[in-house]
Parts: sequence; C-alpha cells; structure tokens
Amino acid sequence: MATKPTQDLDQKTIVIEDTESALNAPVRVKEAHPIIYPLSLPETEERKATPAVGQSASRPDARLHGLGQTKYIDDIKFPNMIYAKVLRSEKAHAKIISIDTSEAEAMPGVYATLTGKEIPTNTFGPTFQDQPVLSDTVVRHRGDGVAAVAAVSEQVAQEALKKIKVVYEDLPVLLDPEEALKDEVLIHPPKSNIYTSKVIKKGDVEKGLAESDHIFTNRYKTQFQEHVPIEPHASIALWDGNGRVTLWSSLGRITLGREDMSRTLNLPQSKIRMIGTIVGGNFGGKNEITNEPILALLSKKTGRPVKCTYTREDEFVSSTIRHPFIMDFTTGVNKEGKILARKIKMILDGGAYCSWTGTTIGKGSILAAGPYNIDNLQVESYAVYTNKTTTGAMRGFGAPQVCFAYESQMDEIAKTLGIDPLEIRLRNAFREGSLSPTSQTLHSVVVEESLLQAAEAFGWNRS
Amino acid sequence: MKRTGKGMACMWYPIGFTVMANPSAATVKVNTDGTATLLTGTVETGQGALTVLGQIAAETLGIATDDVHVVSGDTDTTPMDTGAIASRTTYVTGNAIVRAAEAARQLLFEAAAPLLNVKPDQLEARDKKIQVLGFPSRFLPISQVAHHAETNVGKPAIGSSSYNPPTVEMDPETGQGKPFNTYVYATQIAEVEVDDETGEVVVKRIVAVHDCGQPINPMLVEGQIQGGISMGVGYALQEEILFDDQGKQINPNLTNYIMPTSLDMPELDVQLVDNYDPTGPHGAKGVGEPTAVPTAAAIMNAIYDAVGVRITTLPATAEKVMAAILEKNAQEA
Repeated sequence: MATKPTQDLDQKTIVIEDTESALNAPVRVKEAHPIIYPLSLPETEERKATPAVGQSASRPDARLHGLGQTKYIDDIKFPNMIYAKVLRSEKAHAKIISIDTSEAEAMPGVYATLTGKEIPTNTFGPTFQDQPVLSDTVVRHRGDGVAAVAAVSEQVAQEALKKIKVVYEDLPVLLDPEEALKDEVLIHPPKSNIYTSKVIKKGDVEKGLAESDHIFTNRYKTQFQEHVPIEPHASIALWDGNGRVTLWSSLGRITLGREDMSRTLNLPQSKIRMIGTIVGGNFGGKNEITNEPILALLSKKTGRPVKCTYTREDEFVSSTIRHPFIMDFTTGVNKEGKILARKIKMILDGGAYCSWTGTTIGKGSILAAGPYNIDNLQVESYAVYTNKTTTGAMRGFGAPQVCFAYESQMDEIAKTLGIDPLEIRLRNAFREGSLSPTSQTLHSVVVEESLLQAAEAFGWNRS
Repeated sequence: MKRTGKGMACMWYPIGFTVMANPSAATVKVNTDGTATLLTGTVETGQGALTVLGQIAAETLGIATDDVHVVSGDTDTTPMDTGAIASRTTYVTGNAIVRAAEAARQLLFEAAAPLLNVKPDQLEARDKKIQVLGFPSRFLPISQVAHHAETNVGKPAIGSSSYNPPTVEMDPETGQGKPFNTYVYATQIAEVEVDDETGEVVVKRIVAVHDCGQPINPMLVEGQIQGGISMGVGYALQEEILFDDQGKQINPNLTNYIMPTSLDMPELDVQLVDNYDPTGPHGAKGVGEPTAVPTAAAIMNAIYDAVGVRITTLPATAEKVMAAILEKNAQEA
C-alpha cells in the first residue's frame, strides 16, 4: 500500500514511500545531512533473556520514539481530511439564549458547524452523565464548548469561530466551594451542589479524642493542577459509507470510550471502532471522551475525516484538572505519639461537572488517615459543583492531597511531643495483617520496611 | 541565608477501581515458531505498559520478552479492558494475561504430554522449552510443541481469559468493606535548601523507596518513580491554575503556569522494597500513581525543618514561604 511521503526531504527527515517495507526500507536522507538511522539494532540481552520477569527490558515503542517513527494523532493524515475547532463559553455561568452559526457556515473553507442540539444524546460522564458534549441550554464554566466548526484548515476553523454569535443571559457565578455548600446558587438545579459525599466510621472517634493526651487541629488546602501531557487531547473521526465510524483517539480507555460514543451518538457499538493510538502522556486527563462525538458527527455531515488537536489553552480550560481539597484534620495522640483518634472533614472543589469525582472522593476518604493503625476514625467528605474547570482523574485520585495533610500533621505531632519523625511513623505504621480504615485486612504491607530503607539511604539521623 | 532541611512522608495507595468492577481481558496466541502474540485492549500512555504486559505473558509461557508481540488499543481486534487508569494495568490486565497465557500453555502441555510420555500436569514451560518437572533434560522446544499442537493435534495454543479484582461493597453509613484487592506503600525523604531572604525553595535530593510487589521491569519502575517525583515537585512548589473573579483561568499556558523542567529536578535515589504479592501477576502490584503521592508532603516537612514555617496551602511558592518567614520573625521579635 503506497502512502504519500509524510515529511519533506528539505526537513532533513526520513521519507517513507511504502509502509509495508518501512522498517527495512533504504532510508533516503539529504546528502548534506547524512544521518544513519539504526533500523536493525540488535536486541538487548534483557529482551532475549528468560525468565522474562525482573528483566530491565527496553521498550520497542521507545526505539520508535527515538527514531521519530511513532505516529501520534497529529502525525496522522488522511486524504481530504478537514479540521475542527470548538468555540468555548465566554461566561462561567449563563443561560444560552441563542446560537447563530450561519455566518460561520457561509465562510469559504468551512464545511460544517455543529451545536449541542444536533447531538443525539448530548450528555456524558464516567459517573453521572451530567456534562453536555456541547452546551445547548446552560454554560457552567468557561471551558464548556458551545459550537464546533469543521474547515479546510485549523486557521480557517479558528477564524470561523469568531463569526458564531452566542447570546447569553448571565447567571450568578459560584466559585468558592465553601459557599457552594450553602446551595444558595445552584449549578445543576434542582440538584444540590453537593453531588457526592463519603463517610468512613471506625471505632468511636469522640471517645478516642477524649482519651487523648494531646489533640491537634489543622486545616490544609491544595490547588488546581493540570496534567500537562506533552501531547494534547487529539482525535480523528471517519464516518464511512456503511454508517460505521472509526475514531483514532488519544483516549486511555477505548472499551468504555466506545460505550460512551455509542450512547452519545445513539449508534450500536458494532458500528463504532475506536483505535487508541500511542498516547503522549495521560496522567488521568485522557480517561473520558471529549471531542470524539463532535468529530464523528462533523464527519457524518461532511463525508470527510475530521481531526481536532487541542491547543494548550484548550487543554487547560476544557479538559479536566486536579481537585483542590480543603481538609480539616483533628487528631488525638497519647504521650508516646500513638494516634488514638482522627476526625477528618474534607471539601472537594468538583468544578462544573462530576467527571471522576466519585473515585477521587472515595480514594481520598479511604486513604486520608494515612498508612497508620487508628482504631477510632471518622472521615466525612463532600464534593461540590462550582463554576470552574471540571476536576477529574489525575495521578493519585485525591491521595497527594490527603498525604500532604496527614504527613504534615504527623510532623506537627512529632515536633510537639519531641519524637523523631521517623520514630513516630514507625510507632503508628500499618503492619502485615493491620486493619485498614474500612476494616480490610491488609497483606504484603511494607510501610516500616520502606521507612527504614529510605532513612538508611538518606542518612537520616534520628533526633 | 540558605538553610537546609530534611523531611519525610510515607503513603499507601490502592490498585484498581474503588469497589466498582474494573475487569480486563486478554488473548494470548502462541505462534508455531515459539513466539507469541498478546492482544490487550489497554493503551500505551507512555509508561511502558505494553512492554511490561509482554513480559508477563513471556514469563508464563517460559519465553523471552522479545518473543512476544503486543497488539493493543483497537476495539475491533482486542478484548475489553477498563483502561490505563487507577494504577491498574500491571495488576489487573497483568492478571488477565497470566490466565490467558496459562490457558494457551495448557494446550501446549496437552500436545506435548504424549510425545514425552507424561501427563500434562507433569510439564512446565521454561527457557523456551516444554520440559518434564524435575527432569529438565526431557524436553521439547516450545516451537516444536506449538507447531505440533496446531498442525497435528489440531488445537492451536490460543488462550483467552479475564480478571477482575475481588472487592466487598462499602457500607454506605460507615464505609466498612473491601474497596480494593491490594495496596502499595512508599516513603520519600526530601532535602531542601530554603533562602530565608527570598523564600525560594530548591529541592536538592529525594530518596524514594517504593513498593510495587515484584518489579516486572525494574528500569521502567524507576522511570515511573522519577516521573512521579517530577510531578510532585511541581505540585509542591510551583503549579497552580489561578482564576479571576469571573471564573476565567488567568494562566492557561506554559509561560505562566510554571512546571518543573529537568533543571529543577533534585538528585534522586530511587529504590524498591523487596516484596511479592501472591495475588498479583508473578507477584507484581502497580506503581503508576503512587510515585507522585508523598513528594509534596516530604518537601513541606523539609521546608519546616529548614526555616521553621509550616506551609498549609499548596503550592509553597517563594512568595508564600517568604510571607510565612516574615510572619514568624514578627511573632518572635
């Protein structure tokens, strides 16, 4: 199968004319820049050794990265492919009165536009389907998409976005998660802003606190963080003549992605093929569909393959980010530094939609007491909607937030009691067979081992 | 004046989804030349998962990493997978692969048994051979067995299976239950230098000792830990998306949202704790997310050790640290 050269000789890169024999093809490079590509490197001993487990085997994909042969979505082109851009909301919270795409559609080079009303099932979300693919009645944060354009180039698509007229009617903007708890402004009426909560209770926390020699109360807060994958979200949709749509996507979970596509497009799963390309970093941010239904429908409208690659700004404002936590920790200890009771209250800023908040609040709450044996524990957590960027899955699902709190307070306790930070952790750490906060018996537990090994490697002198 | 401090943080982290079913399926096909093809519905997201999954299949079949070709990420050709999320790939997808490879291996044992005059359960797959347990000199090359199974016996060595971690639902009132099947543990210790005249924090060194059960590929585990620490350093000191009073992001770009580069990375000493989880594939658990968990906490404790101020709101920017130092000085004066 012959393909067009993907890169020009003048760019001093490989030209592959035949994909079938690409790996063994004689590589033509500009003579002025003779670069030898080692396409037939011998495999390393680690890749050839048995048993395979425990070998530091090199990665086949790493070699392709090094040779520039990895094809990310931005490298993939099809004949007659066009490009989509999404118009983002100008308001953090507003009713949409009207969307007029006629002027954009009339522009030379524009093939089609799309609004939320044209999407068969205009909602998605991994836990609750509370998020529109394109907002058609209300915008709930500045990253909400309100319309999309497919055009001959990204530049024309971007220009066309400026011609789309959206009339908004302002709604009160709610940004403070503690304010959101009061439900004075509702973001998803008639639902409460508190859209998910978690309680963990073990033993008798009040009794444990009453029996403690010292009680520590501290508040810790964390910020919004972006995943910043080096490859932004990208996808290509191609709707074919049999009514079957193929998506090349940077999504990290294609099986469930196809279910979401089936739901939003109202199309049987057998009519959808989802191809997960090599992903240039995920960190949790690429675990749900974003543009894919939009591209599929634009492809259906135009009969052409449609690509969209997020800009860095799209990536920040419209993809999910890490939940900020407000964490109140009250901990009772005895004179020896043994934790007798811990009471935790947490508020998660959930942003405009649920996304992966259910998982984040669950893991955050279960892990919040730390890897410590605590007989009396109470954790209460609430996640609230605000008119800010949607918070979702991000490396650690709430664990970096709660670890910052429980380990900061651990050092506060150690300092007050005059106990070395290593010592106080050893006194409280989970051991093999310890009961977790949910009363699960833990196995293959190595908290103590990791503490001692790290202290040894660091040269930690106990005070 | 630049002051140094040290701080530690330990953590625990679960593998897989919270209670919710998160299965993976896999298909392993042994080729007649003794190599194998693994079909998985997960996606390579840069962490090296496909290499690790290939190693898991190779281990069960007694062949080398390079003998296994991994096909992934296509809903038309690969079996379902819950995906590259929740530090679950090595453990959950890996367990599915062990089971699929065992099913394929069983077909090899059944084909080889009559040739070696033993029962199938007297055989093992090691070093590219199907050999008699306790009598390794009685063997057939795996290629010969695979060819025999397909061409003469008529049962090609193809196995499919799935795995879902067993959990127990959490009580809605008390949260009591078994949300995950296994957890990993880790400690990181940071050494920082804090300039008490500017508030600037430089992380000089981090010792990271992580548990991932049996490491399938120690080099890739080390890479994951290094990457996680980099993310943790950014979370601790620099990264923060800011909003104006109308809910608009102020810094949605890499000029104003500052993240660490290689120049900001401390000296790292990455180590693994010796461990083996009998519930994991060849003893493995997972490592993706937990690497980023304790870094910020360790750095905050080190800042406290260096200059005696407790940062309770992340990130610990120079401005915030300086303000805390000035407040502390004012209180002491």
